[in-house]
Amino acid sequence: MKRRIIITALILVMTLAFAGCSGSDGTVVIGSKDFSENIVLGEIMAQLIEKHTELKVERKLNMGGTFVNFEALKNGDIDIYPEYTGTGLSAHLKMDVINDPDEAYRVVSEEFDKRFGIIWLGPFGLNNTYTLAVSNQVYEKYGVETYSELAGISENLIFGAEHEFFDRQDGYDGLVALYNMKFKGEPKKMNVSLKYQAIGSGDIDVTDAFATDGPILKYNLKILKDDKGFFPPYYAAPIIRKDTLEAHPELEEVLNMLEGRIDDAKMTELNYKVDIENQPVEKVAEEFLKAEGLL
Amino acid sequence: MNLAALTIEHMYIVFIAILISVAVGIALGVIAYWVRIADKFILWTVEILQTIPSLALLAMLMILFGLGNVTMIVGLVLYALMPITRNTHTGLSDVSPFIKDAAKGMGMTRLQRLIKVELPLAFPLIFSGIKIALVNSLSIAVMGVLIGAGGLGYPIYRGIQTLNMKLILSGAIPVVLMALVFDFFMSKIERRLLRRA
Amino acid sequence: MSWIEFAQKNQTLMLDCLVRHIELVCFSVAAGMIISIPLGIFLSRYRKLANPVLSLAGLIQTIPGLVMLGIALVFLGIGMFPALVVLTLYALLPILRNTYTGITEVDKSLIEAARGIGMTGAQILFKVELPLALSSIISGIRISTVYIVSWATLAGLNGAGGLGDLIWTGLATYNSTYILAGAIPSAIMALVFSGLIGIVKRLLTPRGLREVRV
Repeated sequence: MKRRIIITALILVMTLAFAGCSGSDGTVVIGSKDFSENIVLGEIMAQLIEKHTELKVERKLNMGGTFVNFEALKNGDIDIYPEYTGTGLSAHLKMDVINDPDEAYRVVSEEFDKRFGIIWLGPFGLNNTYTLAVSNQVYEKYGVETYSELAGISENLIFGAEHEFFDRQDGYDGLVALYNMKFKGEPKKMNVSLKYQAIGSGDIDVTDAFATDGPILKYNLKILKDDKGFFPPYYAAPIIRKDTLEAHPELEEVLNMLEGRIDDAKMTELNYKVDIENQPVEKVAEEFLKAEGLL
Repeated sequence: MNLAALTIEHMYIVFIAILISVAVGIALGVIAYWVRIADKFILWTVEILQTIPSLALLAMLMILFGLGNVTMIVGLVLYALMPITRNTHTGLSDVSPFIKDAAKGMGMTRLQRLIKVELPLAFPLIFSGIKIALVNSLSIAVMGVLIGAGGLGYPIYRGIQTLNMKLILSGAIPVVLMALVFDFFMSKIERRLLRRA
Repeated sequence: MSWIEFAQKNQTLMLDCLVRHIELVCFSVAAGMIISIPLGIFLSRYRKLANPVLSLAGLIQTIPGLVMLGIALVFLGIGMFPALVVLTLYALLPILRNTYTGITEVDKSLIEAARGIGMTGAQILFKVELPLALSSIISGIRISTVYIVSWATLAGLNGAGGLGDLIWTGLATYNSTYILAGAIPSAIMALVFSGLIGIVKRLLTPRGLREVRV
């Protein structure tokens, strides 16, 4: 009796395990980074694909930072995620900054295809660049407008950013080197979602911000000007595995429907709805697509 | 995301992990019981596995197995081993020597004695270990979101990122409820088993 | 580079994380003890309250660590303090339950005998019950400590520092060196603390009471 139970259980386990494994042919997996904008873009793509193709979409949104998604894309755990040209250049290709947006796009497309077998589809339109933001108090006290001015008073300020900012070519090290910034003490590293809380509570004075972030408005932060042009442009676009695209060529046409449809202003608006108004991502994505006549 | 789907995914991950760890855990407990030299080693190993901080273990497993549900299941199995293995071993060891002798006297082989006498007698304690493993796993599985696995960790983590209590609770309440419900019913069964034994 | 080379190159960082982690563990276990041991003694006097209080503490235990830290983040913000609050809450149950069972399992006849020779309630507590319950209480402290070393790794999420910070960084940047630099020391810490407390327990338990199994 006991033996029969054990055998049945084992068969059950194996069936369930295999059931979970299969389903990779008619399914496409969409990942995203762990901040609202990227999640919204991922959700928009997911709904669009579900509407316009026969494919099933598995969502792995909010899955860690840039590097996690890139690794997952490279080894096939996900098929698509929204990436930024600047990030592609610096963080993944480890090349120098290219300021011309078209040139940047051309280079990443070529190199990603060549080196990784990953294809860049049509850009959404938005340029979510890294910027530096200071708290309102700092701005009131020092009146800084540019990064160079910030460098001048940097030894009075504490810098904080998410972990990956310290790991990238277009991140902390390059920034302080170019501008000769010397912040007070050790920079504070934290989870990306805690940054704005930290600056709001005064735990840090300066942080890297994404230009289209909602909390910039909420915490009344001052965005400074990158006068020496350290940060490259970060035009967002879907990047997809070459073999996924070859298996399902209809994805190219569908995803290119979004090309140029989401500019900075639009993205900020969508981000605001999710971050500040706390609307669910699915709803915001759906409303956007309907308004664009894509759903 | 659909809360019902997430809850089902969460349970699915935990159940598969528990099924595997029951099979492996009982097997290890039996081996520890039969093979005297192995017993300290096996019991120590499973205890060490449990002592390792869960985040640390999951992160290390992610390095080995990548992101996703499989890694989570492996992690849960490793954590569930201690209560099951130790209780199996204790349960078997606690079987009265008189009964063991009687079985030997009836001409049973070691395997027969195990399956027909010792395991059934040890079952209440083994079941208790399974209960502990299951309830703990439901809680630990929440961390799956950090290594790309599914489940109720997703709304919880998203809620943390956006400081949205509603989201956090929407994931947390089902987890806690499931843990309480399973604990309640399995404790009832456990009591009945102990009474019978 | 292997995590060991990383550790050697970044000694200040590693030391900071290590010390902070130990601080988190020690403070919260100590706070847990300060609350739970008296509470456990109290419950042993008012047994009717025992069940509800233990159940409540048990309920806290079922709440996943990520959830508690998340809620602390929402209401208390970032830093060491919110993390300590959560960790202390987690430290409560094992110590409380073991204190309570340790005392209530003391042989009634011993208490009778003590009363018989004229000991006051307080004397009975300190000279009879607590020494006999000590082994159980220390077991509870050990369980709590191992839990807390584990949960403290999650506290990196609240910006509380500690070895968890390294693990979180590693997870965020898919960097196994960071992960190992945080994971392995924390695993070792859990084992070391568990072992140390085990030794303390053996030393403090009067020889006549040493149990064979833990």
